[in-house]
Amino acid sequence: MNAAALYFVNGMESETSAIARGLRRRDPDLLDRLIEQYQHRLLRYLTYLTGHRELAEDLFQETWIRVLERGHQYDGKHEFSTWLFSVARHLTIDSMRKKNPVSLDGLLDNEEEKHAPLDPVDIRPSAMEIIAQHEHAERINAALTCIAAEYREAIVLRFQEGLTLDEIASVTGAPLGTIKSRLYRGLNLLMPLLKGAQA
Amino acid sequence: MNRDVHQQAREWISLTGVDGQGLSDAQQSQLHAHLRECELCRQYADATGQLVRSLRSVPMAAQPALVRRTQARVRQHAQLLRQHRERLWMVGIACAGIGFSATVTIPIMWRIFAWLGAWAGVSSSVWETGFGVFVIAPALLVSVLLLARGTHLTDDAGHWRH
Repeated sequence: MNAAALYFVNGMESETSAIARGLRRRDPDLLDRLIEQYQHRLLRYLTYLTGHRELAEDLFQETWIRVLERGHQYDGKHEFSTWLFSVARHLTIDSMRKKNPVSLDGLLDNEEEKHAPLDPVDIRPSAMEIIAQHEHAERINAALTCIAAEYREAIVLRFQEGLTLDEIASVTGAPLGTIKSRLYRGLNLLMPLLKGAQA
Repeated sequence: MNRDVHQQAREWISLTGVDGQGLSDAQQSQLHAHLRECELCRQYADATGQLVRSLRSVPMAAQPALVRRTQARVRQHAQLLRQHRERLWMVGIACAGIGFSATVTIPIMWRIFAWLGAWAGVSSSVWETGFGVFVIAPALLVSVLLLARGTHLTDDAGHWRH
């Protein structure tokens, strides 16, 4: 490992260790900063996971409460985002179970979510750009809601959140081979749905 | 090239989103060599690349109000947890104090009751029963008060009704 890479790894470790220490102390300033830092990524993950913006917002708040309560469980050896997504995922599954006790893993029930619109929030520029951006985002979101939740989750974590395959396996608790297969199948399902809509 | 080679190439493409991340050097060079030769897989790689770029281009922002609300809730909850922890500390310290004082005072009280029993001329079973009641009474009283919390004697917050 060269000096730059070593410096980067050490820097990352010291940052995750600092987060772990802060979480053990339940430091509210640290939590404020983490909420700011991970707001978009966490909300996007939850929105795609649940297929409902409102539910995602509720779970967003609950996730941070859970982070506060269980912060001592974060070891600081792995990326904080991986642990955060894992916490959010467990909360989502719990929430789905409460809503639909017949299906123990609501995440795998895609039928009820097919109609659910996702509501992306646009950022800035001109009115025309905003409209075009919104339409484009809506088309992608609509396509994403048409594929099974486990495929959607793998795609979102890999290509939107930029997690490695190992990190996705850690978040979802699924074997690496399953993650690879979900990505492959998910992309193949998504491709025909988005033909002509790609930027 | 047989079908498996194409499928393998496409699986690798789907894992990396064509940025090569997640593949070993050997796999990457094998993939690139295959893409140079295979038009269909190249098209697949282009389509995947476009799809991934589209996915990454979707903006999804949390509303500032949601962030502020969450921060406020977290701070409030943190304060509650801190108060709860402090209360647990107080209870722990109180229990330790009571344990210590009981250890010190019980032998003394036993002697005092024995002396009182002898002075009053009652049998040992009488003053021993008196001693038992004296020791247990505070604990019994506290238990009754604790049990009464959450009943009609208190309001929803656990405060005594007047």
